[in-house]
Amino acid sequence: MSEMLPLPPFDLHHPESIEECTALLQAHPDAKIVAGGTDLLPSMKYGLFSPPTLISTKKISELQELRSNLNGLQLGASLTHLDLQKSPEIREQFPALAEACSQVATPTLQAMGTLGGNIMLDTRCLWYNQSELWRNALGGCLKCEGSVCHVAPKGTGCYAAHSADTVPVLLLAGAQIEFIGPSGTRQVALSELYNSDGLKGTNTPPNELLTRVILPKPTGTIAYRKLRVRESIDYPLLLTAVRVDRDESGACTGGAVALSSLGPQPLLLENEVSEHIRSGDLEGAAEAAYRTAMPLSTHNTPSLWRKKMVRVEVRRALNTLFD
Amino acid sequence: MSIGKAEAKIDGLEKIDGSAVFVDDMQRPGMLHAAFLRSPHPHARIVSIDTSLAAAMPGVHAILTGPDLPIEYGVIPVAQDETALAIDKVRFIGEEVAVVAAIDRPTAVRAAQAIVVKYEVLEPVLTIEDALDPEKPLIHENRRKASNVLRRVFQKYGDVDAGFEEADIILEDDYFYPGSTHVPLESQGALAEVDKKGKLTLYSSTQIPHYLQRALARILEMPAKQIRVIKPHVGAGYGGKSDPFSNEICAAALARVTGRPVKCILNREEVFYAHRGRHPAKMRLKMGITKAGKITACDFEAVSPGGAYASFGVVTAYYFGVFMTLPYKLDNYKFEAKRLYTNHPPCGPKRGHGAIQPRFALELHLDKLAHAIGIDPAELRRMNSVEPNTETCNGLRITSVALRECIDLVKEASGYESKKGKLGPNRGIGLATSAYMCGALHPIYQNEMPQSAVQVLIDRSGSVAIYSGTSDIGQGSNHMLAALVAQSLGISAEDCVVLEADTGLTPVDLGSYSSRVTFMAGNAAVDAAEKLATMLRESLGQKWECEPERVRLLNGEALNLDNEELRMSFVDAVILSESSSGTLSAVGHYKPPKIGSRFRRQSVGPSPAYSFTAQVAEVEVDPETGIVRIDKIWCAHDCGKAINPTIVEGQIEGSVYMGVGEAMIEHHNFHANGLHRAPSILEYKIPTIHETPEIVALLVESNDPEGPHGAKEAGEGPQLATVPAIGIAIHDACGIWLNEAPFTPDKLLKRLEKAQRSQAKAAK
Repeated sequence: MSEMLPLPPFDLHHPESIEECTALLQAHPDAKIVAGGTDLLPSMKYGLFSPPTLISTKKISELQELRSNLNGLQLGASLTHLDLQKSPEIREQFPALAEACSQVATPTLQAMGTLGGNIMLDTRCLWYNQSELWRNALGGCLKCEGSVCHVAPKGTGCYAAHSADTVPVLLLAGAQIEFIGPSGTRQVALSELYNSDGLKGTNTPPNELLTRVILPKPTGTIAYRKLRVRESIDYPLLLTAVRVDRDESGACTGGAVALSSLGPQPLLLENEVSEHIRSGDLEGAAEAAYRTAMPLSTHNTPSLWRKKMVRVEVRRALNTLFD
Repeated sequence: MSIGKAEAKIDGLEKIDGSAVFVDDMQRPGMLHAAFLRSPHPHARIVSIDTSLAAAMPGVHAILTGPDLPIEYGVIPVAQDETALAIDKVRFIGEEVAVVAAIDRPTAVRAAQAIVVKYEVLEPVLTIEDALDPEKPLIHENRRKASNVLRRVFQKYGDVDAGFEEADIILEDDYFYPGSTHVPLESQGALAEVDKKGKLTLYSSTQIPHYLQRALARILEMPAKQIRVIKPHVGAGYGGKSDPFSNEICAAALARVTGRPVKCILNREEVFYAHRGRHPAKMRLKMGITKAGKITACDFEAVSPGGAYASFGVVTAYYFGVFMTLPYKLDNYKFEAKRLYTNHPPCGPKRGHGAIQPRFALELHLDKLAHAIGIDPAELRRMNSVEPNTETCNGLRITSVALRECIDLVKEASGYESKKGKLGPNRGIGLATSAYMCGALHPIYQNEMPQSAVQVLIDRSGSVAIYSGTSDIGQGSNHMLAALVAQSLGISAEDCVVLEADTGLTPVDLGSYSSRVTFMAGNAAVDAAEKLATMLRESLGQKWECEPERVRLLNGEALNLDNEELRMSFVDAVILSESSSGTLSAVGHYKPPKIGSRFRRQSVGPSPAYSFTAQVAEVEVDPETGIVRIDKIWCAHDCGKAINPTIVEGQIEGSVYMGVGEAMIEHHNFHANGLHRAPSILEYKIPTIHETPEIVALLVESNDPEGPHGAKEAGEGPQLATVPAIGIAIHDACGIWLNEAPFTPDKLLKRLEKAQRSQAKAAK
């Protein structure tokens, strides 16, 4: 077979431990981590970036562990979407996460793509995720080779859309993420990870490795919906996760909504919607989410329709938890 | 009997187990790989090209630019406006500017990127309005006529004014049908090699080996006999491989320059630039009807921004208009169609070429008229069906017609009567019908020779070799040939080997386009096989001392109809006949009948026969999102005769699938600066199995008097009515006419909200 889109040349390292990996990250400041490679390699084939060094996490067995204790779950960053769907712990405690994993791309890609890769996924935009020829014809964009964001030419930032299928559910599950770098181990709330400028995407120093996702014991029930043109092989037009919290008697005590693919950052709505959810005013919660959503023309599907869908998707997701 | 038998394709297994060889599977010692440099501008003058950096790169063997291949070509002889690589000007983003041959593909790609081109950017012409504006720049400056109109067709039949006078109701409306592209699984690919004597062999994923051989001869200035075009297995075409392509010409030219085999395969993005897909069409339709349901007059206009080169565009302009006189009786008709040049990748033929767009307008329009006069839309279609053995007002000769049978069958299967208007809120059902050609009466280049020939050679082992220039691109034409020959010889299709699509070995066939292959090559195959059957019967008649007519070839045996004792295996019959008359071989051919038309200008449209289709779609509309779910589609197709019902059903399912894509999500669309909006199969959405409804294929056999064993076509016709059937079902579900495809949720939701607002206003 001919190589239709040749990869740019790079060195590939296969560290076998986290320590070895972080040392390599120190030694190669321009390196990128590759896990499943399902998003990184297509982007490199498009010439969006050409890191001289790739460091694969494939041989670090620690990153493939799923641990369960009294406080919750610890998910290794290299667990694949398929691993998570099959895990009895995930299916029991976070079925919405298994559901989100089952809607990523296709089964083949679910078996390759990892949880860590999904969390660190580059923002996407119809003006950015294109070939070199195409971008050259455009004159580039703010995120790559150019100076203008074609989504918001008068703005100063990049509006490429956060498109990670698992993240809205993880946000509502109160996920903490663990990085290991030269100065040791640190944990941050997943909600702190994402940047409002699509250029940067995530607030992480480049020499740190995402190692684990820590999920506390579930506090409520989560429902998940993915809106897309096709029911398979599609990035999201809108990701919706909702959580309904209940006390021991089963009475609703509040809840939260997380949305994504509307802009560079996922949106986590708690105060805006919790009281509506507590009182069973689902339309009110949906309306509050609708008002915060500001989708831009990052997709071929019109943004006004995507905004309207926020109201519908949030209400429908909540409905499934109020039957 | 091998006709009418639902059996596996004779070449099916090798595609399942992966052993079928496609162009990109082929390897040659010393083979080079080619890559293109393409234009980043929709319209620009080429000031200079500097290839020195690229040429100096290790592993680079040759670089060609436009002036190396200066001869213009095009699939239609009256519109030869392309060169393999742009000369002086580029006319769309993605046009080929230079090509590199190198030791491997990455080297070729990098070298192509190292070529430096200076452009002087010109104002692009990207809309219908601009293309019709004489003040705008010319895309082709050296044409006889200084205009961006490639072709305007105007035809008028009967008395249109009088027809509108007679009408009780006249309705006029605007429609838009979007461009779409074929998305074959295999991209365009070619491998060229030149032997020691300078003879060129080109392996290509082409639908038209014969036209390609002619084009190569012209462009490379070689005698055609020095060029052999071979089509290996092809991963579908749908019309997208019916032109000579730059990658084929460049592979051949590079093989000549380097003396090495050269492979040139397009990547997926490049397929979107090669395009030749569905023409977008802006249409206006005016029709008159009496209260009794007689269509009195039709006035149709279509204009298409068709891209930077002609491809089949001249023919498209005719097709827009000529099939509107089918399948309904119509005496008074006029149309005007314009195919424009714009700075986009060139449009061309896609399944249902030129007929899909007007069919969409006509079927929706007819439904609106049916509502206006209060006649059931299915009944209105039924009563207006053209009759067998008649002629349309624009001179199309109609032979077999089973449209009413199709309507009745599809209504019954779908439960139409109990569902139409009765499915409750947000659910609906729609019926549409259509007709399509079975090959063009006139070949692309004018000549009096056969359009198709088939040679059959019977070996003394009993194995039968069929030589044919036809191009099986997945549609099953190899099986069709084998089944027809087997039928004549009383053997099974599996006993036949088909050697096809090799201009050096096989007799001519014009190619897989306009649904011509079953009708034309099929008739040629029957012609050849019947000659051999006659030879066999004569030998047996001599031996058995009976009239040859009393000998029957059946189930692998020769039988004497008057004496059960006299029978012989097929192999023994062959040995007997070969012993008495020599080697058993015969050539058959097909020339379309000379059908005298009243209209001299009517050279595009006439076909030896027409297929007919009726379809029903059942849909559900989500009123909150505008998302339409198609539950089921029933398609009854008059294919004349199903030579292999399984393959016909497959063609129907594939056609309906493609129609579903065009109805719901596909749009070959561009940004205002001429950039393709989605040049990848991630973003140019085609339906997955999730978006594909259950499809019920129903076969209707009208047994055409001139078709091979009565067969007509099944490859394109079944797509025509899919999109309007869905559009009509959406109206049945929610009362909204969407005059513009695809029926995306944002469009429908906007209309639903508008309807709600006006309802609320009315309630106040």
